[in-house]
Amino acid sequence: MILEKNGRRKRAERIAILSAALLLAGLFVLVGCGSARRSEPIAGPFHAATPEIERGQRAFMQYCNPCHTGGEASFAPALNNKPAPGFLIKLQVRAGLGAMPRFPQSVISPRELDNIVAYLKAIRHHKPKAGEVHG
Amino acid sequence: MKRIRIASAVTAGILLLVTAACFSMRPSHGGGQGVKFTGPRRVQPSDVALPDGYRIEAVASGLTFPTGVAFDDSGTPYVVESGYSYGERWTTPRLVRVEPGGRVAVVATGGRNGPWNGVAYGHGAFWVAEGGELEGGRILRISRDGKIDRVVEGLPSLGDHHTDGPAIGSDGWIYFGQGTATNSAVVGEDNAKFGWLPRHPEFHDIPCKDVTLAGRNYESSDPVHPGGAKVRTGAYSPFGTPTAAGAVVRGKVPCNGAILRVRQEGGAPELVAWGFRNPFGLAFAPDGTLYVAENGYDDRGSRPVHGAADVIWAVKPGAWYGWPDFSAGRRLDEGDSFDPPGKPKPEPVLSPEPGQPPQPVAALGVHSSSNGIDFSRSEGFGHRGELFVAQFGDMAPNAGKTLNPVGYRVKRLNVETGISDDFATNRGPVAGPASRIGNGGLERPVAVRFDPAGTALYVVDFGVMTMGPQGPAPQPETGVLWRITRTGRASR
Repeated sequence: MILEKNGRRKRAERIAILSAALLLAGLFVLVGCGSARRSEPIAGPFHAATPEIERGQRAFMQYCNPCHTGGEASFAPALNNKPAPGFLIKLQVRAGLGAMPRFPQSVISPRELDNIVAYLKAIRHHKPKAGEVHG
Repeated sequence: MKRIRIASAVTAGILLLVTAACFSMRPSHGGGQGVKFTGPRRVQPSDVALPDGYRIEAVASGLTFPTGVAFDDSGTPYVVESGYSYGERWTTPRLVRVEPGGRVAVVATGGRNGPWNGVAYGHGAFWVAEGGELEGGRILRISRDGKIDRVVEGLPSLGDHHTDGPAIGSDGWIYFGQGTATNSAVVGEDNAKFGWLPRHPEFHDIPCKDVTLAGRNYESSDPVHPGGAKVRTGAYSPFGTPTAAGAVVRGKVPCNGAILRVRQEGGAPELVAWGFRNPFGLAFAPDGTLYVAENGYDDRGSRPVHGAADVIWAVKPGAWYGWPDFSAGRRLDEGDSFDPPGKPKPEPVLSPEPGQPPQPVAALGVHSSSNGIDFSRSEGFGHRGELFVAQFGDMAPNAGKTLNPVGYRVKRLNVETGISDDFATNRGPVAGPASRIGNGGLERPVAVRFDPAGTALYVVDFGVMTMGPQGPAPQPETGVLWRITRTGRASR
C-alpha cells in the first residue's frame, strides 16, 4: 500500500516537472521565434559597458551575425529577446542542433564564447525607444 | 534541489530541441513572399526609422527598376534605370537627370541588353555597367549630352549575375565587377528558372586563371530538352558536360567572379582580383583601398550552399577570394555550417585550391543581398570613414528559405571593427519591405551614394519586387530615390 502510494506520488512529480518544462520551453519558443529589434534607429545606439561585452559584440558580428542578423529575427530565429541562460547558449553553440551548425573550440574559443554570451545578455536590456513599435 | 536540477535538465533539452527545430518546422517567410501588391506605391518618409539627428525625404519616385545614382560636377543627381529585372521583365535602360521637384529628364537610353547595374561620374562623363543579359556585358561611357560609347564589351554576363559597379580609381581606371554565371560553378535547372539556360545552353563560368577540377559531377533533369534523360554536369562546364578529376580549365580575362578594370579610353580589361561570386557594389575608401560587397551563395541548384553570408571585402590586387569552394574565407566542407538541410554537403570542385582566401572585413546577413556601398567622407554627415551598405533584401524562397525577411534596409559598417548596425530601416514589429509591412517606407535599397559635399546620403530604392509562384515579380514605376541628411547633433 505504502509502495503504491509512493509510486503514484513519484509519477505525479514527474508529470509536474515535465509539464513545467514544456510550458517553459513553449514560452521560450514563442519569444525566441518572434522579433527582437534592437538596432540604432529603433533602440538608440548600443554602448558596450565592459571590454568583455565589446569583444563579444565583435565576435558576434564575425560568427553569429550572418544568420541572426543584429540578434533580430532574420534568416534564423531571434536571439535578443530569448531569456536563455548562458550555459544553454553555450551548449547550443557547441552542439549545434537542427539547422544550427556546430561551432567547436577550434572556431570559437571558450573565451570568445564567454564574450558572446556577455554581449547577448547585454543586448537584451537595450530596449526600443519610446514610440517605436517592437515585438 | 534534485527536482530543480531535473526540471532544468528537461527544460534545457526540450528548449534546445524545439529551438533547433524552429528553422525546420517553420515555412519560409521572405520579405517578398505572399505579398499582394496592387499599387500605387505609397511613399511615407516618417515610416523609415533613422538614428537621432537624421531625416529622410523622397527626392524622386515612379522610377522603374533604378539601380544607381551619381552626381555631375554641379552636384545634380542622375539615376540609372536597369531596363531588366529578375523575373525576365524587360524595359528600357535609361540614364535620367533628377530635376528639382523630382521630375526626371532622360539623358540616354539603351537597348535590350540590361540590366544597367550602377553608374559613376568622373572624367566629365557617366560610366555605366551594362549587365548584358542578352548580348554580354559592357562598360559604357555616356557623355552629359547622352552620347554612348562602349569602352569594353563581350563580358561574360549572360547568366545569373551581370556586370556591376563601376567605380573610378584615383589612378583614373574604371573598376567594375563581373558576376558569375551560376550559384556555385555548376550549371543546373535553377539557371533555366532564371531564363538564360534555354537561350544560351553552352554558357558557363570562366575562371580568371587556370584551375584544376576535382572531377565532381552533379545529376539533374534536363530543362533544355524536357522529358529527356537525366544529365551530369561538372564545374566550369556547359550544362550536361561532366568533368574528370585533374582536368585543367584554362583561365582567361575577361572572366567570371572578378573585379576587372579598364582604361577610360578603352582597351583590354585587366584582372584586379578574382574568386568572388557576385561583386555587386564597389567603392574606394578615403585611403584609396577598394572595397566590394559580394552576394553570397544561395541554397539552390545542383550544388546548393546553406547559410552563406554576404561579405564585405577589402580588395588585395591579385588575390583569390574563394569562390566556388569557400564562403567568407571558410571552406564550404568545413564542419556543417554550409550543409543544406536534407541535401548533400557542398564538397570542393577544385583540387588543389588556387590559394587561401583572405578574411572578410564583415559578414552580413544571409540572403540580405548587400549591394551598393559608399563611404562617408564628411563630418557634415557624420560617421566619417564608415561604410554604408544598401541591402536589397532576400529573394526567398528562390534563393533559399529564410524564417523572416532579411535586408530591406541601409546598414552602417565600421570597417576597422567589423561591427555593423542598421542606419535606415522600416518601423514596425518586424523588419521587411514596406509592401509587406503595409507602410510607406523602404522597399529594396540597391545603391547608396554620398553627394559631392558629403552631407547627404542618397539611397536608390529599386521598388517593389514580390516573390510569387512564378518567381520574382518586379513592379515598374515603384522605384524611389531617397535622401538622408543630418538635422542636428547625432546621438553619438
